[in-house]
Amino acid sequence: MNDVTHLIKAVEHGDPKAAGQLLPLVYDELRKLAASKMANEAPGQTLQPTALVHEAWLRLAGGKDETWDNRAHFFGAAAEAMRRILIENARRKKALRHGAGQAPLDLQELEIAAPAPDDQMLAIDEALNRLAALDNEKAELVKLRYFAGMTIEEAARVLGISEATAKRWWVYARAWLYAEIRPGG
Amino acid sequence: MLPSMENDQKPASSSPPEPRREEAIFDAVLALPPEQRPACLDQACGQDAQLRQRIELLLRSHDQAGEFLEPAPPAGQNRTVLVPTPPSEKPGDIIAHYKIREKLGEGGCGVVYVAEQTEPVRRRVALKVIKLGMDTRSVIARFEAERQALAMMDHPNIARVLDAGATETGRPYFVMELVRGIKITDYCDQNQLNTTQRLALFVQVCHAVQHAHQKGIIHRDIKPSNILVTLHDGVPVPKVIDFGIAKATEGRLTDLTVYTELRQFIGTPAYMSPEQAEMSGLDIDTRSDIYSLGVLLYELLTGRTPFDAQELIRSGLDEMRRTIREKEPQRPSTRLSTMLDAELTTVAKRQSAEPPKLVHFICGDLDWIVMKALEKDRTRRFESASGLALDVERFLKNEPIEARPPSGLYRFQKWVRRNKTAFAAAAAVVAALVLGLGLSLYLFVRERRAHRLEQEARHRAVAAERVQAKLRDQAEKGLVLERQMREMAPITEKFTIAGRLLSQGNMEEAEQVISDIPPTIPQGSILYNALGEVYGRRGEWPAAIRNFNRSVTADPTNHYAYHYLAPLLVQTGDLGAYRKLCERALSQFAETADPTAAERMAKDCLMLPPPADSLERLAKMADIAVAAGPTNPSWPYYMFVKGLAEYRQGHFAGALEWLRKVAAQEGVPARAAQADATLAMAEYQLGQTNAARETLAQGIKIAETELSKPGRIDWNDALIAQFLLREAQALITGTPAPAADGK
Repeated sequence: MNDVTHLIKAVEHGDPKAAGQLLPLVYDELRKLAASKMANEAPGQTLQPTALVHEAWLRLAGGKDETWDNRAHFFGAAAEAMRRILIENARRKKALRHGAGQAPLDLQELEIAAPAPDDQMLAIDEALNRLAALDNEKAELVKLRYFAGMTIEEAARVLGISEATAKRWWVYARAWLYAEIRPGG
Repeated sequence: MLPSMENDQKPASSSPPEPRREEAIFDAVLALPPEQRPACLDQACGQDAQLRQRIELLLRSHDQAGEFLEPAPPAGQNRTVLVPTPPSEKPGDIIAHYKIREKLGEGGCGVVYVAEQTEPVRRRVALKVIKLGMDTRSVIARFEAERQALAMMDHPNIARVLDAGATETGRPYFVMELVRGIKITDYCDQNQLNTTQRLALFVQVCHAVQHAHQKGIIHRDIKPSNILVTLHDGVPVPKVIDFGIAKATEGRLTDLTVYTELRQFIGTPAYMSPEQAEMSGLDIDTRSDIYSLGVLLYELLTGRTPFDAQELIRSGLDEMRRTIREKEPQRPSTRLSTMLDAELTTVAKRQSAEPPKLVHFICGDLDWIVMKALEKDRTRRFESASGLALDVERFLKNEPIEARPPSGLYRFQKWVRRNKTAFAAAAAVVAALVLGLGLSLYLFVRERRAHRLEQEARHRAVAAERVQAKLRDQAEKGLVLERQMREMAPITEKFTIAGRLLSQGNMEEAEQVISDIPPTIPQGSILYNALGEVYGRRGEWPAAIRNFNRSVTADPTNHYAYHYLAPLLVQTGDLGAYRKLCERALSQFAETADPTAAERMAKDCLMLPPPADSLERLAKMADIAVAAGPTNPSWPYYMFVKGLAEYRQGHFAGALEWLRKVAAQEGVPARAAQADATLAMAEYQLGQTNAARETLAQGIKIAETELSKPGRIDWNDALIAQFLLREAQALITGTPAPAADGK
């Protein structure tokens, strides 16, 4: 059992400190995984964020029947970690473009396919932060869907809400976020 | 190393003061049809213009959001919201000897271009560049391993794969025969092909797949987008593309990295067989393609796949695999009848049919055919693509299909449909004469007799299919499935062709096709037997002998052919060959545990007085047969051979006892005549001359009335009866009987 599964177990047993420690660990796990994959891929390939999250989970669970609760905790942390990785990448690239012009990207850097262009990613993230301030649960739902690639059903289970509720929330949150960042909105 | 955990939160600039209320109204209004929304908004927002504006903004956003934030694009649609990897090739680029021209299309795993080949020949080809980050070297290596087999494919409904290689950017590409067509489901819908026309196209696809299977090639990715329809002189011709590509690119599906290509993997889950969904990767054979063909047929009939592709993807990987492996899909007709009216009307209209008629047409046979192809357990599917095609063709001709166990009623329904006019006439007669069921039953029986020959030829075709299945099973047990299949490929193909010819009653050509199959291949015996039997039934003795001789050579352990060959050799006067065959049968079957083999071989050797040194062994074989006991359905046959053995041994009283029991049974005519002849001889030997004459006369009468009819299936047993009757007549009346011609 590795640190992450330890922590997941601890979270499950109600250890409040464990929850806080889980995120950085999952974040590291995802970066390491992405780096090792990049090393083995032909240059120019990009990694799929949701696929990375799923693969990270498979590695942790080792193909064994892990309980749903474990998955829920993991995906919750992974969604947040992936969001940070993507936003960080987007910010870095933007900074590069603005600062050093055509400076080549460091090959060691992770080439993870962002779900949207950099500017849009940053805009979505800002809007998502605003939504989180108003209604954190709906923002969580969006993160699970958008950054961890979960289905409505899966996300509903992570959040402990019914599928119908999750669907309603999703429709609302999506419209809300779109209204926030829509061109000329 | 971790980025700042604090969110740089700004105050929500345009967020409403009452998010909960806003959400509640938004939900409620969205649930309404658009025309009712303004009224509801009026009521809900009252005088609060700001709230109303806000909700209208959300509603507009909802309508405009499109794919915004949606995570995985569903399969089959080329949305590239998440993976904007632009193709690196453009018109004018040159890859090896291929000059890229326009883009032809874009699929789940690659982009297809029209390209111009410059050498060795100048022609236009389709060039498919694989999109995903696959290991180019192993993709090409796997393709090279297949290349020879792929080159052997030559079928008008298969687009050939010509070449493979790597682009400068290191991506694998495949070169194929250029097919300018549209996918089969679209073609059918756009041209409103009716169900029969759809089935005719489908049958062609099956034949193409069968051809590939005979060359040892499994497609592994049969789906509508891999079956393109082109028009040749106005006639639609389906072409199966991408043979060999799934295999070459498949390696990635077997290890964990499948998840990094989740979207590629789930590209076509709707067409994936249960064993493919297992992802064990090692255990895919031709029957996986049969399943995918079943899905295709399902879709052609209902406009839907058995499981909805989007639902499969939404359900997550584990659930998706469980569904494919375990969940029974609805029958096509059930699927149609549970559709919403509007949907059903659309589906029916695309097939130029009225909804109730379409459901009725599909209900029954087509349901069974589809469901048999979709069996979870592949051993219960059609054994071959041509088996599936054959059943669809049977359906189109209103003949009984194989896909469901035939019952008397079922066959009767089929006959009624096939002979609607005749049946209507017969029904009228029945009504008029108030003969009740009797006449229609009589007609039914007569009809069945007339069709028996035809049906049997068809059973031969099925037998030929089984040969193929057997060959495949054997190859499967071997270490290298496909290589063995390929070695057998020319032979299995001959079997299939011969089977088809047989089913069309074309004996001569069928024999021609199989005549150069090496005589030592045991599976050949089934076909030789089929040919021999039909020739025998027609009274063409030399042709029958030729085929049964081949059968015995091919598989000396199968008693079936001996049993036909022995009477044929006696009938044609080749007693030397007959004695040799008897010796061979004795050495092969003297110790057999199978009562029927023992009974038949003993009968064959005892139908003429046997050499004294073989009597004891033959008597033992008769004992093996009767040891099976009276509960065995073949008991009367066993009793007869025991009686015959007793007679040949000179145990006349014992013979009398056994043979009287046989005579007391409701008789198959040939067996009854055999028993009467032997019983008459036993009676005569015991001095009961009058009884003997009576018994003999009875046997002769059966021979004259029943056994002389042409086309008997049990012509071999009829011949044996003739020989025994001749012997009895010579013994009892002292006059040599006229030589029976047996026809």
